[in-house]
Amino acid sequence: MDIFPQAFSDAILLAGLYTLMAVGLSLGFGVLRIINFAQGEMIMLGAYGAFWLFTLMGVDPLISLPLLVVAGFALGWVLFHGVVAKVLDAPHINQILLTFGIGLAIQHVAIILWTGNARSTTPDYATTSSVVGDVLLVHGRVTAFAAAVVMVAALIAWLQWSETGRATRAVAENRSAAVLMGIDVNRIYALSFGVSCALSVATGVVVSFILTITPFMGFPMLVKAIAIVILGGLGSIAGTVLGAFALAFAETFVSYYLPEGSGWAEGIAFVLIIGILLVRPRGILGQAVET
Amino acid sequence: MSTRSLAIPVWAVCALVLLLVPAYGSPTFVDLAFRTASLIVLAISWNLMASAGLISLGHSAFFGLGGYVGILSANLLGAPFWLSLVGAVIAGTLLGSGLALITGRMRGIYFAITTLAASEGLRVIAVMLPDLTGGAKGAYLKAATFPGVLAINLAMSLVAVAACIIAWMVSRSRFHYAFRAMRANEAASQMLGIFPLKYRTAIMALSGGMASLVGGVEVWHGGYLDPAVAFDLHITITSQIAPILGGIYTLSGPILGAIATVFLGDATRIALGHLQGASLLVFGLVLVFCVLYLPQGIQGGLLRMLGKRPSEAAAEPKLSPTVATGAAKP
Repeated sequence: MDIFPQAFSDAILLAGLYTLMAVGLSLGFGVLRIINFAQGEMIMLGAYGAFWLFTLMGVDPLISLPLLVVAGFALGWVLFHGVVAKVLDAPHINQILLTFGIGLAIQHVAIILWTGNARSTTPDYATTSSVVGDVLLVHGRVTAFAAAVVMVAALIAWLQWSETGRATRAVAENRSAAVLMGIDVNRIYALSFGVSCALSVATGVVVSFILTITPFMGFPMLVKAIAIVILGGLGSIAGTVLGAFALAFAETFVSYYLPEGSGWAEGIAFVLIIGILLVRPRGILGQAVET
Repeated sequence: MSTRSLAIPVWAVCALVLLLVPAYGSPTFVDLAFRTASLIVLAISWNLMASAGLISLGHSAFFGLGGYVGILSANLLGAPFWLSLVGAVIAGTLLGSGLALITGRMRGIYFAITTLAASEGLRVIAVMLPDLTGGAKGAYLKAATFPGVLAINLAMSLVAVAACIIAWMVSRSRFHYAFRAMRANEAASQMLGIFPLKYRTAIMALSGGMASLVGGVEVWHGGYLDPAVAFDLHITITSQIAPILGGIYTLSGPILGAIATVFLGDATRIALGHLQGASLLVFGLVLVFCVLYLPQGIQGGLLRMLGKRPSEAAAEPKLSPTVATGAAKP
């Protein structure tokens, strides 16, 4: 049997998820010029939120999604005003170490509270599947893809057409000019940081019925998200979508066509990071960023 | 000047103690000295990179590479202890200078990400080449000649003392001033005739070799290596926490910080040992706290308490949130 259609559809479904995973990081960097190294832990918190709501109260992850997105936004808002705002104008080293430290602390609070055991949510659609032609479609993955597409589309629409969305883009493009236009830059920063955390929490909710949930799940996902954002170009949403598709296709096809491919696929993100920094550091669609 | 003239004998006594403990200390102290010495070297290595404006988020890459070179050269080539360490240093030097060349003109975030990627990438390679590395199951050291526990512990102490001397020599050389200029404003430093790539490659080679050497010694000490141990995030974290806690960009900071970090880790393990992950939680909080409230670390805090003007600290704010590095922000 030809495995190409199967690999192709798997790659598309994965790409949707990767887009959602990386778009929050991309927004945060584009606006605040900070790579939030705690972003992976937001994903982890979202997954645990979905898990506990499902296990304790039987709430379907798709229903808890909006709830947790609001909670994620609130967490981001609090984190911004509590700590991140203090290092906005500081050297990069402060920002890197601060967000790294926050992530480390969150991760280990999770280990203490919930142990390192692997868990997952198990709604009915997580394991059922249907066959279309040569392709096996797991309903959980299709659902996750659909949820991801809806949220990324909502983000793009918000940035494109709403008043605050346009203000956000203005700040990303030129902070000083935005100030002169009467935009409250600090409010936009807090908003973007909140939205960026909310998107990561949403990623966590969506992967809760696809992957196993552990306190350690965030870090590898953060590294992949960084690879995607660098590949597409720091600060470009369209580039991020492109980067997500590139990574998803590379990973899926390597794991289908190479011997022991699923193990090697885990290394692709790192090869891409090194490669893109060698060849075209600003990424496919990125703006030149002074670092 | 009295503190300055006092400093040299004090450090000499510390070095002597570190060198004597492996031979005469009780097992607890020998272990403590080994771990402290190991972290001192890693912290100095991290601090050397940081002082050139290079923030490593993947020090375990050097550590793990050194470990694997050490264990593989002993197992496959029958290399004795000292030769496998030479191999580890060479490998770390190559990785360091390679990373410096790859990242080229890019600093800050890009450099941090590249080191992160290097460490995770090496881990994947180690898992995926089981014929060579033993894969995820790991490998045991099967050395033809075992130098003895005393020699290994002593080697670690010697390496730590040597690392301190190297850091002191670097601080005395023109590197020190070049780094300060590069950190503050790289474009301006170039105009003054500093060629950043040269200095960056040199410091990465030096500091990479140091961190790899620690990995090499540790594998002889532990006798076992697997990808999770070699490229442990814990290494990355402790080697950056130690200099930050002690006082970044200073000479004594990494040393004080390494001692404090080992102490802090042991104290949490004793107090909260039943909670898995408690020590790393404390490290995370320490990191956040230091960045926000103790930018000059223990060293700066001590000097302030003694009512002395921190020698370099006053002239140059360290992790101070109030200072933007000129051209670094758009």
